[in-house]
Amino acid sequence: MRPSTIKYYLKEGLSGLRKNLLMTMASIIAVMACISIMSFSYCVASNLHHILQQMEDSIGISVFIGGTPTSEEIEEMKTQISKIDHVLEVRYISPGDALEELKADWGAEEDIFEGLDETNNPLSHSFQITLDEIESQDSVLQALKGIDGIDNIRHGQTETELIMKANKVFNIAGFLVMLILGVISVMIIMNTIRISVVNRRVEINIMKYVGATDWFIRWPFIIEGVIIGVVGALLPLIIGIPIYAKIISALYNYFPVIKIIQFRLVGDIFIVLFPVALAFGILLGTIGSVTSIRKHLRV
Amino acid sequence: MIWLNNVTKTYPNGSRGVENLNLHIEKGDFVFIVGSSGSGKSTLIKLLLKELEPTTGDIIINRVKTNELSSNQIPYLRRNLGVVFQDFRLLPNKTVYENVAFAMRVIEAPNRIIRRNVPAVLALVGLGKKGRSYPNQLSGGEQQRTALARAIVNNPPILICDEPTGNLDPETAWGIMQLLDDINKRGTTIVMATHARDIVDDMQKRVVTLKQGNIARDIKKGGYCDEA
Repeated sequence: MRPSTIKYYLKEGLSGLRKNLLMTMASIIAVMACISIMSFSYCVASNLHHILQQMEDSIGISVFIGGTPTSEEIEEMKTQISKIDHVLEVRYISPGDALEELKADWGAEEDIFEGLDETNNPLSHSFQITLDEIESQDSVLQALKGIDGIDNIRHGQTETELIMKANKVFNIAGFLVMLILGVISVMIIMNTIRISVVNRRVEINIMKYVGATDWFIRWPFIIEGVIIGVVGALLPLIIGIPIYAKIISALYNYFPVIKIIQFRLVGDIFIVLFPVALAFGILLGTIGSVTSIRKHLRV
Repeated sequence: MIWLNNVTKTYPNGSRGVENLNLHIEKGDFVFIVGSSGSGKSTLIKLLLKELEPTTGDIIINRVKTNELSSNQIPYLRRNLGVVFQDFRLLPNKTVYENVAFAMRVIEAPNRIIRRNVPAVLALVGLGKKGRSYPNQLSGGEQQRTALARAIVNNPPILICDEPTGNLDPETAWGIMQLLDDINKRGTTIVMATHARDIVDDMQKRVVTLKQGNIARDIKKGGYCDEA
């Protein structure tokens, strides 16, 4: 392809958009809406996932053992627990260790535990279990119930279940809205390109008579669609970056409690979102123009 | 150069465009296609341009059987055929120069060649000084000269004219005919469909008269035939 030909395609594509400004703008707005929803869903889902991961690191399952087991019994239980699927690590905590940890947690007020030693320690023997993924917590709990000698199981089930459910609902809702807006975008782009084709009827007719190839005639219209897609994808991202940063800092400011969880950084989010949104925008634009060309440009 | 062997075109509604047409046009010929409305003139022109497919029979242009060409080969066939229409079909928002250059641009000719050939062909059709004018600033004759320049700028071996003088007054029409004669003398084969009796009579070229989709008369040198 000659550079002059590429220049011609770009020039014709841009002039088509300009002559048809209102429809061009409608198409861009439709793509923008679609990309905005996609970006918003991704921001929320990505943050929920990030938070879940932090919880996986901090929250495990604690298993308490009744009575005073022998060290063989403890070893035996540890092996059994280790064999359960998705169990990453099993750490045995003796009542003495537990007492030390408790004292450390209370810091300056550790004197309330004074008088407690190995002979009268009320704390149980326990295992601290770490999982490879939080979603498998249920199956691990089921398996634990089958092990003899376990007195009590403690875990952060309700919180994780809530976040997991929220994540799922968000993913599905976001995907559905994105799909609907995507279809609408493609339809509006198709209409824009159709008007552009009709505007250039005479030109296309002459091009055919002088022997222009079909692709030569099609390219400017594809370029039109791609430009709509690119602009429609870039605008919401450029607007989105400062908005995301603002929302995150506002959340930290108004709810100091949530400082213990970390939101994803602006850079982390947009380094993924940029190429994906751009590709998706170009895809919408291309599908819109190609289907329109196939329908209205019999070359 | 152009062969039609037993070409029949039946339209989907059952009407016959042309029937069992046999026609041979040699390189360098100047042929008038005449006949009343509905005689098959337009069908013949459209078959040559491959706007229509023959129902049966073969069409050979420049040694290529055009009825066997796939759709992506049609553009390369059309580069052998210059076309001029009654209604000029110029792009109103482009200058005369741009209208002619457009024909070269769409077949991806290099800019260097465009800059060399367009002024030359505009000079040939007598529009050397009109390059910057827009079509609506031109007379009908000048517009048809622009269309003619566009048709021949890529040097096609065959020029097909569909009533090129139909919208012009006799004097202007005569100017266009002289131009076509010049182009023919440079070696281009010309096929011209027309109603213009005076022109056909004056030019004294080969005349093919169509009647109800058949050739009623084909003379090497002559005038318009009334009985058709």
